[in-house]
Amino acid sequence: MTELAIKADGLGKKYKIGASVAQHDSLRDMLQSMTKKLLKPNDPKESGEFWALRNASFEINRGENVGIIGLNGAGKSTLLKILSQIVTPTEGHATIQGRLGALLEVGTGFHQELTGRENVFLYGSILGMSREEVEKKFDRIIDFSEIADFIDTPVKRYSSGMYVRLAFAVAAHLDPDILLLDEVLAVGDFSFQKKCMDFAKSLEKQGSTILFVSHNMFSIKTMCPRVIYLKKGEVVFDGPTDEGLRMYEADSRLAQSPWFQPERGQAPAITFTDIQLLDKSGTEKTVFDFGEKMTVRIRYQTSRPIKKADIRIGINRADEIHCCTFSTLADQINLSEIDGEGEIELVTPALELVSDQYTTTIAVRENDQQICSQLGATFHIRHPLFQSNAYGVFHQSGEWRLDGMKSGLSAATANKRS
Amino acid sequence: MTSQEIAGTNTELPSRTSDRITTLRPERGLFDLELDQIWRFRGLLTTLVHRDVMVMYRQAALGATWAIIQPIFAVAIFTIVFSRIAKLPVPGDTPYPIFAFAAVLPWTYFAEAVRRGSTGLVNESNLVRKVYFPRMIIPLSGVLAPLLDFTIAFFVLIAMMLLMGVTPTWRLAAAFPLVLVAGSMALAVSLWLAPINVRYRDVKYTMTFMLQIWMYASPVVYSSTMVPEKWKWVYALNPMVGVIEGFRWAVTGQGEPDMMALGIGVSLIILLLFGGLLFFKRLERNFADLI
Repeated sequence: MTELAIKADGLGKKYKIGASVAQHDSLRDMLQSMTKKLLKPNDPKESGEFWALRNASFEINRGENVGIIGLNGAGKSTLLKILSQIVTPTEGHATIQGRLGALLEVGTGFHQELTGRENVFLYGSILGMSREEVEKKFDRIIDFSEIADFIDTPVKRYSSGMYVRLAFAVAAHLDPDILLLDEVLAVGDFSFQKKCMDFAKSLEKQGSTILFVSHNMFSIKTMCPRVIYLKKGEVVFDGPTDEGLRMYEADSRLAQSPWFQPERGQAPAITFTDIQLLDKSGTEKTVFDFGEKMTVRIRYQTSRPIKKADIRIGINRADEIHCCTFSTLADQINLSEIDGEGEIELVTPALELVSDQYTTTIAVRENDQQICSQLGATFHIRHPLFQSNAYGVFHQSGEWRLDGMKSGLSAATANKRS
Repeated sequence: MTSQEIAGTNTELPSRTSDRITTLRPERGLFDLELDQIWRFRGLLTTLVHRDVMVMYRQAALGATWAIIQPIFAVAIFTIVFSRIAKLPVPGDTPYPIFAFAAVLPWTYFAEAVRRGSTGLVNESNLVRKVYFPRMIIPLSGVLAPLLDFTIAFFVLIAMMLLMGVTPTWRLAAAFPLVLVAGSMALAVSLWLAPINVRYRDVKYTMTFMLQIWMYASPVVYSSTMVPEKWKWVYALNPMVGVIEGFRWAVTGQGEPDMMALGIGVSLIILLLFGGLLFFKRLERNFADLI
């Protein structure tokens, strides 16, 4: 028989937008907006409401790892905040069985003036552990964090990496029945990220349930066999990861980058409306061979003239490693003005990136200000030998001098030369 | 699907860390105060108080000496202004510094408790936005943390009494129930002001002069015997009157503790506290959205 960990039934959260309620920081603001309301009673900006989440119903069994995916503002974080009792749902209800640990932001509640040791206790109790429990786990926490030497230094002297290590180490030892993770693995260096992911997997073996929000499709794929895909506050897909990710990738084509916050309420100065990845014969494709040249063709539309633009096309690997950026400014092209609509084509040099999945990103900077950042299209690079786990980001041959050794062409070199 | 494989091995899963079942829903009963949640998070309460106490004087060259310097300075100024210059009469033969210190002690605690209790939520907005815990823990810890300063200053008072030839007696034990009354009052006020402060930061700015006015409405620098008899009952509506006069009695032994003032004060505190609990719980649900 399966045991339920979370059962959500029609969860919804409504927020008010505009100046109406949430943003009065002082009585004066309130009086101002009240007078405004008297003068303009039906200003839609003042009375706007939106549902950050609507009708979310799902059941999650004990021991399941579920990824929550969706573009910016799709309601992922709202869902986790409701489940972790930080905010109250506007409608619907949910039942949670067991101890719930939520890591919505690593290191919330750390106090700058206190030492690492003191913060371990502080953070532990914020997360819901008793003092005895923290004492019992203290050595394991310090081991995991790998910063034993600095444990009696105030955390304000820590580097951000150390901070994250310590915070995650505490949270990791909470032993929750249900763990909610929001983008937390996106911080820290790669080896620590891997350690965290291994740890999350070991929790899974102990029967813990993990809900994992991430923009990093690579970690979603490694950690979760099931995904819930949210779009504009609604669950549009709930099922096997591969299928969910395919839907997400199709939808995220040319979507705004999750990390880019355009100015509120303003139309972006420039928008890319279409992207094509082509090979040298002009055929559109998604799988390229190692060493092949790629043509990126994008269509743009501006809402105002843009002066001194720098157009950048970047390539990110699926595990969020930023591999390279092609830039008009770096290539000394002087774009004095862009206006209206048109087409841009970039022919890359031979791509010597290792075999993996990649996403293109498009960004435009004007006077050193980022004014546009969109995700492009996803593609694969294929090579039998050069895999990312062993060969890093790109591969180029070197010249070797091998004194006193017998040498000849190996299969791998022969393969590359062919 | 892998979830089915996991489901198949479910019998081997170790037991849960906790069998607690949490229900999330939009509405909650008006009188559902969830006080059991505060008990469950008592560890966090002790840690927060502990943290506040440890952080209070860190990176201050004089450290905890500030807990001594502050009330002594206040008493010195009051002595110069109100005793030497304004020549306010003091009942009995108590030296004015002792007379003033006996009142400054509970008042300083009360004022600091109200200040911390009412503004704590906003100062901890990071926690409120990112972690769940019963929000009442924060005003509670704000009211508890200044007890350390109070205790230090209490010993200073005893030392000063010995220096000025006022013998401490068993009456001093009355300080403990009285500080409990002052603490409850501070909590009651905080439970009302803290949710308002989340919405309107004006509370923070109003606080300073509200406490100033309140101090002069309490017998801190003068004796309540100076209040005309027919206004006594109005005066007693300020619960701090009973507390401060009680403290004076405990320290100097002059007169009798004003039981009428204390009685009115305590009844008022109970009302305010209960109302505050309901008010706080009602608004608590939106803190994370508004803060």
